[in-house]
Amino acid sequence: MSGAGRRADPVEEYAATLAAALRGPARAKARMVEEMRDGLADAAEAHTRQGTPRRRAVDLAVREFGTVDEVAPSCQRELTVAQTRHTARTVVLSAPLLIVCWYPLLAAGDGPGRELPGPARLLAVQLAGVAAVAALLAVVTLAATGPLARRLPVPRGLPLAVAWTGTTAGVAMVLATLTLAIASPSAGNWPLITFACGLTAVAHGMVAASARMCRVCART
Amino acid sequence: MKSDAVRGHLDGLLLAVLEPGPLHGYAIITAVQRRSGGALELRTGTIYPALNRLERLGLLSSNWQSVGERRRRCYELTDAGRAGLAEERTAWREFTTAIGSVLDPVARPGHAV
Repeated sequence: MSGAGRRADPVEEYAATLAAALRGPARAKARMVEEMRDGLADAAEAHTRQGTPRRRAVDLAVREFGTVDEVAPSCQRELTVAQTRHTARTVVLSAPLLIVCWYPLLAAGDGPGRELPGPARLLAVQLAGVAAVAALLAVVTLAATGPLARRLPVPRGLPLAVAWTGTTAGVAMVLATLTLAIASPSAGNWPLITFACGLTAVAHGMVAASARMCRVCART
Repeated sequence: MKSDAVRGHLDGLLLAVLEPGPLHGYAIITAVQRRSGGALELRTGTIYPALNRLERLGLLSSNWQSVGERRRRCYELTDAGRAGLAEERTAWREFTTAIGSVLDPVARPGHAV
């Protein structure tokens, strides 16, 4: 079916309007909209099979289904939780990996007698601590929005809290890596520093983008 | 029955219609309507995010199946979902017994009025 043909279909129009109203992880959102579009098409087909003209059948199906304005809030609630979990997962996966990379630099500098300067070491340790605490909070978030949510309601402010936790973790990752890269007394550890910088750039990009979307979802 | 009244019981309804076996979204909706004799009023579009939530809680699992030109997401109960359904049933029976004792005491044999 052509793009113009799909747009002319009222079911496709409904799906496009719903997709435009929702914010959240791209894959989860696409799957939810696809599933709902097919459900609406099934409902319209059921009316058509009973002899109702197509346009009228779609109107009836939409009335039973709920308008986009009626349905979108419950979809958005679920997508907001999905985005919160996505951000938490990104922090949980990236922060420990970076801390493992930083550890050799923090522990021994470039070798005996060439340790990191004290202030740089202190700053890097504190920033690593921030990233570790963020990772711990992210683990708690995954538990609180997963099976634990059967027993405990998900706190209303959790998505925004996770968004800012992710942002903080992302900033701490960048600062810690820069501190280690600048303060390392020689290029003896350059492969590790280069690797840590590259990993940090990737991790920061993922965490920051996810945290930004999490803030958007929390405010939608 | 109005949709506001149904909403609090939606999880139990969805788990119950999935007890016999896996179903896709629209089949779940028609199963709820068929079992209730059409008495339950609910915005059927809100069932899809509810199914997503039940899957996130580990009460349902899903997989996509191709049917003709369409892909359908089929849901089925997990072991936790079966346990959750049993809890929902117990809670519902206790609730209706308690409310029934107050609203309709004469109809309950063995209970003093």
